[in-house]
Amino acid sequence: MSAPSSPKRRRKRNWAPYLLILPSIVYLALFFAYPMVNGLILSVREAGALLTLHGEAQQLSLPTGQLPRGAQVSILDQQGNLISQDELDQANLVTEIWFQTRGQDSTGETLEGWAPGTRIRVRETNESGAPVSGTVRPRIGSDDPLTFIYAEPNDNSEIVGSLEVQTPVEILDQVTLEVWFLVRAEVEEQTEEGWVQSRYLQVFGDGTQGRVSRGDTGQFTTRYFQQMVNDRFFVPALRTTLLLMVIIIPIQFVLAITMALVIQANPKGSGLFLYLFTIGLGVSDLAVGIVWYSIFTQLGYLNSILQGLGLIDSPITYLSATKQYWILIAIILAEVWRATSIVMVIVVAGMQAISREVLEAAEIFGAGFWQRVRYVILPLLRPSLQVALILRTILAFQVFAVVVVLGGGDIVTVLANETYRQYYDLRNVNVAAAYSVFILLLSMFTAVFYLRAVRTQEEVGG
Amino acid sequence: MADIKVENVTKRFGDFIAVDNVSMTIEDQEFAVLLGPSGCGKTTLLRTIAGLGMADDGRISIGGRDVTYLPPRQRKISMVFQSYAIFPHMTVYDNIAFGLKMNKFDGREIDKRVREGAELLHIENMLDRYPSKMSGGQRQRVAVARAIAMKSEVLLMDEPLSNLDALLRLEMRAELKRLLQEIKATTLYVTHDQIEALSMGDRIAVMKEGEIQQYDIPDAVYDLPTNHFVGSFIGNPPMNFMQGQVQRQNGQVRVRIGDFDLSPSNSMQPLLSAYEGKPIYIGIRAENMEILAEPAEDALQVEVLVVEPLGSQNLLTVQIGDDLVKVATHPTFKVKPGTKVWVRFPEEKIRWVDHDTRQALYPS
Repeated sequence: MSAPSSPKRRRKRNWAPYLLILPSIVYLALFFAYPMVNGLILSVREAGALLTLHGEAQQLSLPTGQLPRGAQVSILDQQGNLISQDELDQANLVTEIWFQTRGQDSTGETLEGWAPGTRIRVRETNESGAPVSGTVRPRIGSDDPLTFIYAEPNDNSEIVGSLEVQTPVEILDQVTLEVWFLVRAEVEEQTEEGWVQSRYLQVFGDGTQGRVSRGDTGQFTTRYFQQMVNDRFFVPALRTTLLLMVIIIPIQFVLAITMALVIQANPKGSGLFLYLFTIGLGVSDLAVGIVWYSIFTQLGYLNSILQGLGLIDSPITYLSATKQYWILIAIILAEVWRATSIVMVIVVAGMQAISREVLEAAEIFGAGFWQRVRYVILPLLRPSLQVALILRTILAFQVFAVVVVLGGGDIVTVLANETYRQYYDLRNVNVAAAYSVFILLLSMFTAVFYLRAVRTQEEVGG
Repeated sequence: MADIKVENVTKRFGDFIAVDNVSMTIEDQEFAVLLGPSGCGKTTLLRTIAGLGMADDGRISIGGRDVTYLPPRQRKISMVFQSYAIFPHMTVYDNIAFGLKMNKFDGREIDKRVREGAELLHIENMLDRYPSKMSGGQRQRVAVARAIAMKSEVLLMDEPLSNLDALLRLEMRAELKRLLQEIKATTLYVTHDQIEALSMGDRIAVMKEGEIQQYDIPDAVYDLPTNHFVGSFIGNPPMNFMQGQVQRQNGQVRVRIGDFDLSPSNSMQPLLSAYEGKPIYIGIRAENMEILAEPAEDALQVEVLVVEPLGSQNLLTVQIGDDLVKVATHPTFKVKPGTKVWVRFPEEKIRWVDHDTRQALYPS
């Protein structure tokens, strides 16, 4: 029963690789792309900067224009509109309560309909606090004794009749309405008019003037970046971050390459040596900060040793606001101690990939130790050095815990610390997001720069 | 003058003795080959001479200069490595120029020598290329060019052809031989390939277990092996060894193989008489036996077990006594397995090997 195989048989597509990378794509999207995009949005988008004006007092009605936050408006009209119970906790909400009532009018007929809550005095409530009966209030400052009863809880609806003052009524139901205002404002020499919900407005005393207190749509803004740059800690933080980077990274590379060369020479116990040096990798940066703090603090190890050796008479205060350079030195020492081994591990791995015969050939053809390092080892280490350099630079932009522990967070501050301060202490999410985007851009820029600058010879030649 | 003198050199790795009290002299401009199975210490000996690993004992001198404890770069040598060991991050030009630059030659001299070297190896149009874009044979040429550009008086080569495919190896072998005759350096060449050794070397040192078994010209190594090992290592097929019994008959020394009596040459008679009543090995190369289709008085009748036609010859496997023996015949000599043939042993081609020491016996 098998069908004859068609001459143009479609090549079977191999889906396995796609299935295999699917989890990582999902992972990247969920935990990498999504937060990053959100952070980016937070830093450049001002939430609630604009308020949409509606043609009618209806959420679904056509928008007629937009008002910026803070715009002064005059209120022309107002109207209640049903809102759901869970919207009642909105700020600035102006509400009306309407009762569904039943009572007898002046002709003795029973009249049923809706009356504004301001027109009914509640006399009796049930166990749960809901009103059950009341009387019609007198109208203050008006001779008209009658109160209109409407078909719907809305004063634009049909009037079904009227009740006299003090008429006793049954209260059948109760609804809450949010007031919509018809506002008019001058924006950039244009008049905008439309209905807005009370929650977006701050209404002044007489009820004819108001101000847009927040909007319902966001807007692109550079405000947060301006705030970041103008912050008094921004320049010190950037300067310190770059300074630490410029000092720490060369020290680390020289140390790491030296250590890798020592391990390459394979003296006795070099394995143990490698393990000892990588211990730093396993210690959390906060713990490292605390360890070095305990060395440099006034009654710390350094002072104890110096005093014990009789080199100083009284303890020196290293970590004080007046001696920023000591704090910097402590941070540099701690970072070098902690993070040099990651560079070393990468360099050692790269060094082991260099063929032994190539190094021997260099030796045979007359290269001394320094010439071998200069002309053979370093060029062949280039790819490893590139990886290590990118990794270290990106990590250097993120330096945080060590600085906070040793520098207290304001005497010496760095970009990551400013991000934290803006987010946690100042509750300024947007500026914190701007800081993190700034760090991200710096990291990406340096990575691209290194990739282009430290390109390997083969790539250039090929 | 750059002869290489190796005197009583020993090299150990832990408990393992890689080179055991080796002495050899390579004359000026001689092409010496170190030949042996893998693990015999030939590369270790070469590296010790190069200075890549100091000798534990003994003395090495190059051109009369004691270099035993000098680093490689002060030994005035150049070397070609098994894996070529060319620098992957440099162009062919820079690779060839490397040694010259390190030794601070002046720019014009470097350029001249690089171009000369490249021309000799026919890679002058690849000077700007990177090794990663080259084939194995081309890389090998770069490695050789780099070594000869130095114009050192001593050239060491560590299995330079073993990473090439068979055809390329054949081609490079001939080219290397021509080249080395041209540059007139004292050369020590390590290989495990006996064809390479026999075809290229002025002298061959056959090594086994860290010791030199025989150090002689190729003909002697092939034809007059000093012991059982050299005979069975060199040659394809290797030398046949049969076990025989030395006896005295009518005042003449005879050697009995199975039920056949072999009469040694007159010059061997006094030497073999000491072995009377003892077993002995009779060694003979496949091509040195005469094979006859008809019975002859001094020929041994044998049965053909296997016939291997190899084009230039037919290789027969026959049984003599307890031993299987390979006999080479002319390709026109057609036999089938199972037929009877007669084998004659020319007395001057027979090599006698002591059964216990496995050393060959030659009349002094």
